[in-house]
Amino acid sequence: MDATHLPEVTAAGVIIKAVLILAVVSAIAGFGTYIERKILAFMQRRYGPQHVGPYGLLQLIADGIKLFTKEDIIPQHANKIIFAVAPVITAATAFIALAAVPVFPDFTIPFIDVYVPSIASDINIGILFVLGMMAAGLYGPLLAGMAQANKWGIIGSARTAIQFLSYEVVTGLSILAPIMMVGSLSFVDFNDYQADGTWLVVYQPVAFILFLIAGFAETNRTPFDLLEHEAEVISGYVTEYSGMRWGLFFIGEYANMITIGVIASVVFLGGYNDFWIIPGWLMIIGKIAFSFFFMLWVRAAWPHVRPDQLMWLCWKVLMPLAVINVVITGIVIMLAQ
Amino acid sequence: MSEVQTVENMVSITIDGVEYKAKEGEYILNAARANDIFIPAICYLTRCSPTLACRICLVEADGKQVYSCNAKVKEGMEITVSTPDILAERRAMMEVYDVNHPLQCGVCDQSGECELQNYTLELAVDSQSYTIQDTKREATNWSSVLHYDPGLCIVCERCTTVCKDMIGDAAIKTTKRGGASLDKAWKDEMPKDAYAMWNKLQKSVIAPSNGTEHTNCSDCGECVAVCPVGALVSRDFVYTSNAWDLKKIPATCAHCSSGCQIYYETKPASIEDRTEKIFRVTNEWNYVSLCGAGRFGYDFENRTATKDATAFAATIEAFKKAKVINFNSVITNEEALMLQTLKEKLGVKLINREARAFQRFLGFYSEASGQSLYTLDFKEVMASDFVISVGSSLRNDNPNARYAFNNVQKLNKGAGLYFHPVGDTLVPTFGKNIEMFTHKVGHEEAALLFIIKLFADQDKLPDSVKEQLESDFVELLGGDTAKFEKAFEKMMKKKETFSLMVGEDLYFHEKAENLAKLIAVLEASSEVKVAMIPPKTNSLGVALICDLDDEAEGYTIGYNESGDFKLSALGDGDLDMPAMNQQEGTLTNMHKRVTPTNAALEYNGYVLNDIIREVASAPKETIMWTEHLPVSKGFKAVEFDSLPNHYTNDGVEHRGYLLESISREAKEISVDKFDDSNALEGEIAYRCNPQRQFNDFSDKAHQIFEGFGLYASPAKAETLGSKVEVEFANGKLTLDVIVDERMEGDIVAIPDFKSAENIYELFAGSRYQTVTIKEV
Amino acid sequence: MGLEQFKNRNVGTQNYKTLDLDHTPVTGMGQFKQVVSRTFKPELFVGLWVTFREMINALFRGKMHTTQYPFEKLPISPRYRAIHEMLRLLESGHYRCIGCGLCEKICISNCITMDTRYDENQRKEVSEYTINFGRCIFCGYCAEVCPELAIVHGPRYETASEQRASFSLFEDMLTPIDKLNLQQEYQGFGAVSPNADENIKKTPLAY
Repeated sequence: MDATHLPEVTAAGVIIKAVLILAVVSAIAGFGTYIERKILAFMQRRYGPQHVGPYGLLQLIADGIKLFTKEDIIPQHANKIIFAVAPVITAATAFIALAAVPVFPDFTIPFIDVYVPSIASDINIGILFVLGMMAAGLYGPLLAGMAQANKWGIIGSARTAIQFLSYEVVTGLSILAPIMMVGSLSFVDFNDYQADGTWLVVYQPVAFILFLIAGFAETNRTPFDLLEHEAEVISGYVTEYSGMRWGLFFIGEYANMITIGVIASVVFLGGYNDFWIIPGWLMIIGKIAFSFFFMLWVRAAWPHVRPDQLMWLCWKVLMPLAVINVVITGIVIMLAQ
Repeated sequence: MSEVQTVENMVSITIDGVEYKAKEGEYILNAARANDIFIPAICYLTRCSPTLACRICLVEADGKQVYSCNAKVKEGMEITVSTPDILAERRAMMEVYDVNHPLQCGVCDQSGECELQNYTLELAVDSQSYTIQDTKREATNWSSVLHYDPGLCIVCERCTTVCKDMIGDAAIKTTKRGGASLDKAWKDEMPKDAYAMWNKLQKSVIAPSNGTEHTNCSDCGECVAVCPVGALVSRDFVYTSNAWDLKKIPATCAHCSSGCQIYYETKPASIEDRTEKIFRVTNEWNYVSLCGAGRFGYDFENRTATKDATAFAATIEAFKKAKVINFNSVITNEEALMLQTLKEKLGVKLINREARAFQRFLGFYSEASGQSLYTLDFKEVMASDFVISVGSSLRNDNPNARYAFNNVQKLNKGAGLYFHPVGDTLVPTFGKNIEMFTHKVGHEEAALLFIIKLFADQDKLPDSVKEQLESDFVELLGGDTAKFEKAFEKMMKKKETFSLMVGEDLYFHEKAENLAKLIAVLEASSEVKVAMIPPKTNSLGVALICDLDDEAEGYTIGYNESGDFKLSALGDGDLDMPAMNQQEGTLTNMHKRVTPTNAALEYNGYVLNDIIREVASAPKETIMWTEHLPVSKGFKAVEFDSLPNHYTNDGVEHRGYLLESISREAKEISVDKFDDSNALEGEIAYRCNPQRQFNDFSDKAHQIFEGFGLYASPAKAETLGSKVEVEFANGKLTLDVIVDERMEGDIVAIPDFKSAENIYELFAGSRYQTVTIKEV
Repeated sequence: MGLEQFKNRNVGTQNYKTLDLDHTPVTGMGQFKQVVSRTFKPELFVGLWVTFREMINALFRGKMHTTQYPFEKLPISPRYRAIHEMLRLLESGHYRCIGCGLCEKICISNCITMDTRYDENQRKEVSEYTINFGRCIFCGYCAEVCPELAIVHGPRYETASEQRASFSLFEDMLTPIDKLNLQQEYQGFGAVSPNADENIKKTPLAY
């Protein structure tokens, strides 16, 4: 993508795109809960939701109504302001991160002939911005857990701190190697780098796996959902939450899952480039969908790890591997020049 | 029977190799029971003559098979309860009893208390060898309370035995059953006694002895109590409850002065109504017999009582201004003591007509005899072999006195003299050696003088008596001198113990003092010992505890009696009181025994003790008065909770304690001259209750049907018409005429069981009054 | 078959399959080896495969495991002890209960009560019967003790109701007279054993 396209970025365009992202992603996040339940049910030879609407599709609406109408309880001894703000932080950071992520190829709207770059804001440090935003998302669970005057919440926020901070390192290091290869921090450049059909995962399999593992930890998904591990800490940082505040955490988690899916697709799996006869937009939807499915699949198949195992894995296995991967990548790049 | 239990007349016997002591002349069965040895027996009843219907009590005594209910113990007798032969006989008998006996034990009212069931299991009958075609037998109702299902009957004849030997009605007997007769082939195949027993059983069934469908009896229900199976049940109880659901509350019957041991059996009334209800009354029928009022008159409780504070406050006010307390003898000793305390502290006067009359009479008697109480209790009367009754309508006044009179005739081969102005057709049927004197009203002194003449040692008599003995009393009392002398000679044969029962007529007699003296003279000069029938439930206790007044004026509080302010256990007064089945306490009965009674039903209102505590001072509970009953009058300082209430296997009564008779110096007795002219003439009314009625409480019970009316003999009733107006000197009454088939003569009976009718006032201190009766 | 297996008295080892569990490594090298072997073993993928296979089974091979209660119900054992039923005699349609009160007596939670009376046909009539289901522990003693097989436990386990009283009276428990042909015999405790006839000794009869 060269600089000639930049004038097309108008304020109106950005607002429209922001609203679209917000609407679509939160809808998908909601729909994701339905999909998750269905997939998990099938994998356990159950039906999952099936009574509300055809195939239980309207379960999503039922849940929405339930969440909106449920009593919003704020515990007596909670720090009320922080308690109220925390879920907004989680949801907001998740959505803000999506601003710098390109999902589709750029396109021209027919009839009015408006060229649309399909990214809300193609900032040249996109990756740093996304990683930064996701790291800022840490404040959501952290504050929520500490504000609610509940010991499970405190444990939940302690776990948040160690888990998110630790895995930020792995995410950053693992994605460093591809950045070195591409030489840019813009997602659009990553996509274009793979336009020849060779996905970065082929060059950087270790980085991909490390990123994926770290992604599970960052999004608080099984097997690393220790923040709200029911069997150990009731519901961790969301113990005292109910109604829509709890719903915001939920949406944030699913939005993060989508973000991780998008980053993995763009950085490692060829982005929105056309593949054979399949158009690019379809390819990327397929890739995001698969990564989403994969997260559910993993949840159905694998057990939780313990916090100590999680830390052990992070600092003793993943982090060294990531460093080694960076060093090797650097050496290879140096030799290739 | 009549022997006093001393070491001398104990014999030693050996049962199954173990040596025991037994009373001489006692039946083997009773001796074994007294020593806690089990000999199976179905038909035998303690206190009745052996029936010999079941033959199961077969034992081997000195190598011979005898029926243990009928064979008396001898010194050194060796008894074996079970030999192989006897076991075979017993088993065969039980099999015979089980032939055609319905197997619907599930619906039977005996519900597990069945002796047939028990003995079938005890003798391990697990198969049946005998058979005969059954006869259709329909269930019938013998009377308003008796229900008989012959299909269940095993014809053990306990009911007929108790009815004859104990109650004296002899209202039921065995009769022909009809149907298949026994195959002679069985005779060779089965044990001898079993065959004989079956032969008799198969031919008979129980039926009213008057030949009709219905019994003409006092409806005492004792036949129901003794029935070992579910054949005889009270009509009200049929199929309403299983025995095991009922809670037994040991109590003392509070209808008359007999003070019989009873159990109120309670359970929740129904599914909707979970309040406790009395379903029936049972008794230890081997040792005590009830009358119809005791057995069926149990639901007189005061249900509606609540703790009405305003009524209570009004009561306290009433007590503060009270001058007189008017009460009757349906009251516990504790309550009597409370009233006496009130008298002592507040100076109120205590009025209780029947107890006062008895108190005076007892006072005259003890002055003359030097004993604070009469000599015999009615158990001893029952054990005597010559019994005399004066001044009591035996059939109506007190069932236990009547049972005693009858039992003496039936069991002790005894004799009896019955003096009463009102003729009775039942008493002569008690035995062959009974002479009845239907004397004129007012001739009671003559009756006593006559008894003195017959039994007293002339030398011991004071002159004032001796000089009156010349006249021909038999003639005077309405008998035939020649016939009587012959009969009396026969009556006196082999007689050792003599008892005299005196009744209410004498207490209310104009010359009560003279009569009491004559009785003292009789006791002092002869073998005859006296027992008195207290007029009402606890008259004896009240007479001993309370200092009663004759007359009183002023603001009156009535306790179950009329008054300006009324306390009532009937629910019709200004403040509710508990009825006798709702309170605990003690009663003093005619056996001179202080017996405990317990509350069978819940009571939610105030009790007398609450009032006494407010106006004087009282302990927390009514029963805390028990230990304060006056020791000087023969009571004991015993706590209520430590009073025993049971019988032991040898029939010894352990209920409460016996009053102590306190001796003092006897006064010189000088008797008034008997005045022939005192006799009442003309139309005479007698204050006397029908057989099962004693007071408002028996009247309230739903199974007591005897109404308030004028009772007359059939002949008299015919002349009176159906409804009459009875005019007394101080008032009149309109009453229905009710025929009492067992009455004789022209005297009519007017009941006093309704306190509201003020019958005592009308009779003005006597039991007999001349009246004018007009048909209306 | 030989007797070898009986001669092996080392009870506890013969029929068990022992799993070859790894020993926890103690040395650094050992731990490293364990990590490497676990990393490169396809164990994690076996897990993924199993869940994926089950999904395929459920969706396409008809192996869905769910019973769609309340549209589908599983059969229950005839000895199941659900809410009580009072049965009728098949011939006459009269209720079987004779009012003997044994159930009332044996009930260990004291929840059965009955009212009986003497009826016009000189029989014992059960005028009302009730079980307090607030107390009933469904032990089945009442059914076991019943001499008439009158009170039994039915298969009706769906006992949600606005009122417990909806189940507790005689009428509620009694087989409706128009459904007499659907009445099922109870097979649970107290039912007649299949060989009951053999255990009965016959009593001689005169006719």
